[in-house]
Amino acid sequence: MIIEVLVLLISPLLAGGLSLLIHRSSLLHAINLTSMSLLVGAEIMITRTVLKDGPFTALGQLVYLDALSVFILFIIGAVGLACSFYMRSYMDDQVARGVIAPTRLNLFFFLFHMFLLAMVIATVANSVGVQWVAIEATTLATTFLIAFWRRRESLEAGWKYLILCSVGISLALFGVVLTYYSSLHVLGDVSEALNVTQLLPVADQLNPHVLKLAFIFILVGYGTKVGLVPMHSWLPEAYTEAPAPVAAMLAGVLEIVAVYAILRMKMIVDHAVSPAFTGGLLALLGFASFVTAAFFILIQHNYKRLFAYSSIEHMGIAMIGFGVGGPLGAFGGLFHLLNHAFAKSMAFFAAGNIHRRFHTVEIGQVQGLAIAQPWTAMALMIAGLALSALPPFASFVSEVQIVTALAAQGIPGQWLSNSGGMVTVAFSNRFTSLSLTGLFLLCSVLAFSGLLYRITNMVWGTPPEGIVRGEAWTLGHLPIIVLAAALVGFGFFLPQPIRQLLEEATRIILVH
Amino acid sequence: MQISPHTGSQLVDLCSALLLLTCFAIVAQRRLSACVDLFALQSAFLVLTAAVVAFLTGNHHIYIAAALTGVIKVVIIPRVLKKVIERLNVKRELVMNVNVPAGLLICGALVMLAFFITQPIIPLGFLLTRDSLAIALAIVLIGFFTMIARQKAVTQLVGFLVMENGLFLGATAATYGMPLIVELGVFFDVLIAALIAGIYTNRLQDAFDNVDTNHLTVLKE
Amino acid sequence: MSPIIQSLLLVTAQVIVLLTVSPFLVGLIRKVKARFQCRQGASVFQPYADIAKLFRKQPVISTTTSWIFPATPYILFASTLSAGLLVPTFISQTPLNFSGNIIALVYLLALGTFFLILAGLDAGSAFGGMGSSREAIVASLTEPAMILSIFAIALTAGSTNLSTIVHKTALLEGIATDPSPHLMALAALFIVALAETGRVPVDNPATHLELTMIHEAMVLEYSGRYLALIEWAAGLKLAVFLSLIANVFAPWGIATTLAPTAMGIGLLVYAVKIAGLAVLIGVLECMFAKLRLFRVTDLLGVAFILALLGLLFFYILRS
Repeated sequence: MIIEVLVLLISPLLAGGLSLLIHRSSLLHAINLTSMSLLVGAEIMITRTVLKDGPFTALGQLVYLDALSVFILFIIGAVGLACSFYMRSYMDDQVARGVIAPTRLNLFFFLFHMFLLAMVIATVANSVGVQWVAIEATTLATTFLIAFWRRRESLEAGWKYLILCSVGISLALFGVVLTYYSSLHVLGDVSEALNVTQLLPVADQLNPHVLKLAFIFILVGYGTKVGLVPMHSWLPEAYTEAPAPVAAMLAGVLEIVAVYAILRMKMIVDHAVSPAFTGGLLALLGFASFVTAAFFILIQHNYKRLFAYSSIEHMGIAMIGFGVGGPLGAFGGLFHLLNHAFAKSMAFFAAGNIHRRFHTVEIGQVQGLAIAQPWTAMALMIAGLALSALPPFASFVSEVQIVTALAAQGIPGQWLSNSGGMVTVAFSNRFTSLSLTGLFLLCSVLAFSGLLYRITNMVWGTPPEGIVRGEAWTLGHLPIIVLAAALVGFGFFLPQPIRQLLEEATRIILVH
Repeated sequence: MQISPHTGSQLVDLCSALLLLTCFAIVAQRRLSACVDLFALQSAFLVLTAAVVAFLTGNHHIYIAAALTGVIKVVIIPRVLKKVIERLNVKRELVMNVNVPAGLLICGALVMLAFFITQPIIPLGFLLTRDSLAIALAIVLIGFFTMIARQKAVTQLVGFLVMENGLFLGATAATYGMPLIVELGVFFDVLIAALIAGIYTNRLQDAFDNVDTNHLTVLKE
Repeated sequence: MSPIIQSLLLVTAQVIVLLTVSPFLVGLIRKVKARFQCRQGASVFQPYADIAKLFRKQPVISTTTSWIFPATPYILFASTLSAGLLVPTFISQTPLNFSGNIIALVYLLALGTFFLILAGLDAGSAFGGMGSSREAIVASLTEPAMILSIFAIALTAGSTNLSTIVHKTALLEGIATDPSPHLMALAALFIVALAETGRVPVDNPATHLELTMIHEAMVLEYSGRYLALIEWAAGLKLAVFLSLIANVFAPWGIATTLAPTAMGIGLLVYAVKIAGLAVLIGVLECMFAKLRLFRVTDLLGVAFILALLGLLFFYILRS
């Protein structure tokens, strides 16, 4: 297995290094596609092993892979590969139009590979400390990607992203320090005392007070990266200013890696405290994000911002799923992460295409997309319907799972009190769980109507004067088709490996 | 030389108290270059604290971390920041989001909050350094507050670095240092973050003719 | 020797020490500043001559003033001197320790300031009113910082009686408690001392520039023996603060018994300590510029926070 793990780590590293030395755009794309394919290939091998033989560690305990991390790797690989295909046409077009200087193209690819590498490390790392380092590295790698256009607005968005995420992540580091603080007493002062494989077996002996505090810090820290309300203010700006493939990676993958980091911590804390504590906090933040985003979706007139707020909304929904817990909630949450990754990256691919043709991000100035760019219009419609969680799409299934779990169980409520005792707030009675379900459905309807209203406005009508009509087939359309097929297909039938992966991962999250 | 545990713990307390004091000095200081100097001073105190802990506990890997702090936070980062300030031609911060006396009072309240939060978990710590965890959290919170209270990009960056110092103090005090691989990673990240932020301030200056983050309001609802 | 006579003797000794030492401190600071500015400067003993000269001059009192104006110099002088009797100087027993403690000290000093502010207003001149209003700002800001820092010290020693505080710290021959709260309180008290005695970052005693002066503006109308008393009282206040700082934070060498040798050593050590502090103030005055009036709040805010932290640390480190 060691070879596959090495391929996973080395291929982006090598590709990044090579990209710095090369200036020819076709070669850069070739390297990118090769490394992404190697990555996906290694992932498939690892997935097969994990599903057959269970979790394993490699590279002297540094790497730990189980169904949950493999599932996240799967999302990274799938969205990353789609991005690589999309970039083939998108980046060349940007260079041709002079938005990006040809000499800076290799820098873009270098940062892109580093971003990918950091995310892979964050996913496969056994130690929560190394995971922190990798997640901070994603911030550093992406801050220039977001500001790659070097306009005033993109510099502003990049600066806000850098500052807010670095600060948030620093708080998460305090959480990691506290985790180490608690594990020292059980495991001793060894460098393995932060490893998940070491922490999980002894988790019930760790001090609950310290872990509660640690979890709050980690939730706030990584929650900033996820873009949970109220730590979300960087997100709409960064997504609007970032080039489309970067936005797709941010929305589709980075958020999910951050969620994964929170889930890992939740598993440890659940042993020592109780799932009700972590679940309550997750559901609280989830609801805050969901409700806020649903209302902000209604007032957007910028389509990239629209998708950004929809990201906040869906991360909120997934958080509610994890917070409510139970097999249905956790499964729904994971499945929702997958669906969101696919739908959102597709939405940003479409957005990138629209921006190239219409040169505006204002919804009011984009009309008649069905005539101007039929392929893109189709992608936008499918992404919009999937993001609204309408029936034929997989996201409908996952949202129904989450809302069913919510209606059945309500939000667990066990909150921190300073006296050292626990105060249980009655959140789980029948009335509150039903009213929360009502709130959930109301916000879904709000988000659904806001999103679809804007999207239909863009798709139908006649394109403004001076906009070229018709769209030639490029390689960039391939990922859109595949992702759309997956979104519809997963709604009816989950392929056996993915289903098994999801079920295993759910079991890992829920194990007590 | 043998030092009694009581004296040792007083020594560590004193060093961490000095770190906290420099935090307050940064909050009260308006001149940008003086803020950077104070940050360098704080990092020097941090090196001192780490060295004292390393000496008293015999954990030699803390010396490595202390040396790295010395190189990165006392020498390199302040130099980079000084260069940035020179280029920017801004000397002092005239308008703040929170005025100095109010800021100081808030920071005092933050110290109390930090002690309040950490009180239940302090008895778990090592006898030598148990009080430093609270001080570390206080420094993190004050750094956070500085970032909110100031408008200049450089002082916001100093606030971020102060937070990092607090985190490092926490790691050294609470756990006698993190595993070495994590510690190295953290140093690497901090260094890169500071460099990137330095580059950013230059670009912001070029784009906005100003590094007042107050002007960063192009993107709004 | 009966206790009453003993305590009378102590009072007399302390009064003599304070009265002689205070003009010397003022002269020393001026000398240090002059040397730093590459001037020869007046003799260290010049303030004695100034006071003597002023006592011989005839005072002039404005006809618009009330009884407050002539009474203030006496009240100020008396209150400052009795405050001085509450602070240990060369011996750890204070002459008046039966009748007052650290809190009385604060309020005796505040009483003098209060009357001085009234007197500044009394003459009805523009400068007096301006000085008084400024002094009121500074005094109201220093008070909380001073009280808090003194509480921090009192807590560590477990008593509000200065004599007990000093005695305990001196006899333990080392830092009695955790050094951190002590040091923070010291820093706070030092800033307070600079503000209260009108030294440089807050007020400049050497200026008569209308835009900046605080203390000098209030006493502008005074002349003759009234002015002599006020100047002497200002010197006394400085001596009181310096003795407080020197003996509370570094009481080593102070006489703890009434033995003549101990008292001799105590006197010598005391002279060295406060002279050292006076030199330090002189150096600081040369290094720093006076703050703008509206920035004084920043400095005093720092003092307040330092004192608060000292208090906090006391409780935290104890737990």
